[in-house]
Amino acid sequence: MTEQQLAGYAPTPIAARMENHGNTMLKVAMATGQDLYARTGSMIAYEGFIQYEPNPPSVRHMAEHWVTGEGAPLMKCAGDGLLYLADYGAHVIVVNLANDAISVNGTNVLAFDAHLQWGVERVKGLAKFAGQGMWNVQISGTGWVALTSRGTPAVVDCGKGEDETYVDPDALVAWSPNLKVKGKRSFKAGALIGRGSGEAYQMAFSGQGIVVVQPSEDSTDRLRIRG
Amino acid sequence: MPRQFQRGHKAKVSDLTPGTDLYVGVQIAGPGLTFDISCFGLDADERLSDDRYFVFFNQPKTPEESVQLLGAQAGDTESFRVTLDRVPASIHKLSFTATVDGAGQMSQVGPGYIRIVAGGEEVVRYAFTGAEFSTERAVMLGDFYRKDVWRFAAVGQGFDGGLDALLKNFGGEVAEEQEAPQPSAGGQAPGFAPPAFAAPAPPQAPQAPQSQQAPQVPPPAPQPPQPPQPYAAEGAPPIHAAPTVVSMPGATPPPYGDTAPPPPAPPPPAPGAPTPPPYGQVPGQAPGQAQPFGAPPAPYGQQPPAGQAPFGQPPQPMGNPFGGPPQGGGAVQGFVPQGAPPGGAGLSAALNPYKEAPTGQRWTAQNGHLMRVDLTMAGGAPVLARQGSMVMYQGKVDFGYKGAGFAGRIVGNATGQEMQLMRCTGRGQVFLADNNAHLHQVELQGDGICVSAENVLAFDESLSYEVRRIDGHGIPGGALFTMLFQGTGTVVVKTHGAPVVLPVTPTTFADCNAVVAWSAAAQVVLSSQVRLRRNAYPGHSGETVNLQFRGAPGNFIVVQPYEV
Repeated sequence: MTEQQLAGYAPTPIAARMENHGNTMLKVAMATGQDLYARTGSMIAYEGFIQYEPNPPSVRHMAEHWVTGEGAPLMKCAGDGLLYLADYGAHVIVVNLANDAISVNGTNVLAFDAHLQWGVERVKGLAKFAGQGMWNVQISGTGWVALTSRGTPAVVDCGKGEDETYVDPDALVAWSPNLKVKGKRSFKAGALIGRGSGEAYQMAFSGQGIVVVQPSEDSTDRLRIRG
Repeated sequence: MPRQFQRGHKAKVSDLTPGTDLYVGVQIAGPGLTFDISCFGLDADERLSDDRYFVFFNQPKTPEESVQLLGAQAGDTESFRVTLDRVPASIHKLSFTATVDGAGQMSQVGPGYIRIVAGGEEVVRYAFTGAEFSTERAVMLGDFYRKDVWRFAAVGQGFDGGLDALLKNFGGEVAEEQEAPQPSAGGQAPGFAPPAFAAPAPPQAPQAPQSQQAPQVPPPAPQPPQPPQPYAAEGAPPIHAAPTVVSMPGATPPPYGDTAPPPPAPPPPAPGAPTPPPYGQVPGQAPGQAQPFGAPPAPYGQQPPAGQAPFGQPPQPMGNPFGGPPQGGGAVQGFVPQGAPPGGAGLSAALNPYKEAPTGQRWTAQNGHLMRVDLTMAGGAPVLARQGSMVMYQGKVDFGYKGAGFAGRIVGNATGQEMQLMRCTGRGQVFLADNNAHLHQVELQGDGICVSAENVLAFDESLSYEVRRIDGHGIPGGALFTMLFQGTGTVVVKTHGAPVVLPVTPTTFADCNAVVAWSAAAQVVLSSQVRLRRNAYPGHSGETVNLQFRGAPGNFIVVQPYEV
């Protein structure tokens, strides 16, 4: 029977507010009073009574630095039920912040609890190089955050290397906010001649903390394209 | 994507993969804990009647080498190679177990898994966390068992007593050495009862081994991996057992078929229609009756008892970068019905599965898509990598522009796709990846390999390479360019999707757009089927050009599931 063949993909009983369903899908247990910010367009299914408010005033206020001109790519989800989110098959990582903080590249945020403290900032020293303007969301407090990554991510401890850690901005997913960040041009000028883009710029991290990178340099924001 | 198994799921191995040469990887770790991971080959009575089939660190393989211990690799704490068709007929079950060495209990373990990899691709994974266990000190993680055909089951069931209890359970006896099992006749058959816990998060009293064996009828069936009795004796609805992934064959009764309605139990889910349990289900509640939405006591996500934060213990040698003491998710949340996080609270616990793999080799695969090269290793020789493939580096590394010389220009001019390389020198580690492509490291030791130029990601500069050109009508750009690598060193090849490696036979053909690499001794002959196909299917672009390979036995070709 076909349903039995597919039974392995049935949702598992809820054990937590956010859970992975497979590698690439996020399942959020919604309840009244526990709102969620999710990327606009990331909803793939929901059960129950959930309402969506795109570009809510609170976000608009927060995201005045957001370099978009068309509103923030976040929607507020409220209600009761089960919400399924995904981002074009990207790997989803669920993080339970326990009085921690994490800084996430804007295109890699999938969802986070509305009660967390968060803010939007442009990456210092980088935006002026990399035309499209890189923004990141800094989230702190105690609650749930879901990130996306194109492919299985890797987490690197910055403190371990005796030197700075340099990351291709397109491959960067998240980092510890207490790290020092600066832009760096590491290629020799000759490498730039005749080439439109390349690895001319990296972000240099130093200090104690972690950096999460994805094995892909595709920074296109898929959920934005849809319009 | 691998199948994700829950505790109690089972499937025919043939449904998971056609192969029988399997890699079994176990990852299990916990702060301050060490584990012994072993494989028990059990007979039809589920006993270890032959202690040569106890594969562990002191006995790394069975006599006929059907089960071999491979050690830690590729992110796995321990790994095995299992060749199912070589397992002797007397062995009916291969049980993979993990036992805590020294003090500690299973509730302290972080996220772990047992997985099966076949043909280079992970086919199934049973992930578990410490929250599913309590005071157990030994767990059976997964089983291969013979029931008409080989099957795999995710077990996740433990014993408080550690290795001793495990050995006793398998009818062995602990000699002084503790690791030397001796078969004895007095063992009981283990109950293969699925866990009585309904939900993974809430802790319950651990099932004592005795109670698990209770439902077992004394003479067990010859092949009793899933006797139906335990289901009948079970009080709680077997939520985990419900979604059996693959339907059982018609000959065997469905697992629920002969479930005598246990007196206090709610009706089990109908066989054949494993409905997902409604959300907000409290363990022990009948699966049929969903709570109404918005019911006051936090309907979604069960609130686990506070203190069930297995990772909350302060001595956490995982390098918590934020200094703050990790706290149990549920305890702090107030009204938020957060469950215990599957892997423990805190950022470091959530990211723990993706931690950097330990160093030690020049080339280390972080996962299937990310490669780290340590330039300081092996004499500090430079590495040539495709430009744009660096995602991160640590240390003092210089990236120099390196045109691929003749190779790059030819390939670039002809195909429009420039093959430009960068030369990485210095001291440090460079992480390479390209658009989420699968990466494969090929170590050459004096032999040669031809790689399609588009599929080269990086290679040691110590290798000598030259460009070969294969002309042919219909090939985009007029010719296929391959790079022939020879010498001693490593080439990293990227493929879109998991590739297939075929031996070269007299009739081996490959699409010129899909072929990735072949051993240098194989000869390439063009076989053009263009016209034939075009005529046969007007309007259909058809296959363009096929390459035929000829060579002595032992040669191979690699083909990716993607036509460039």
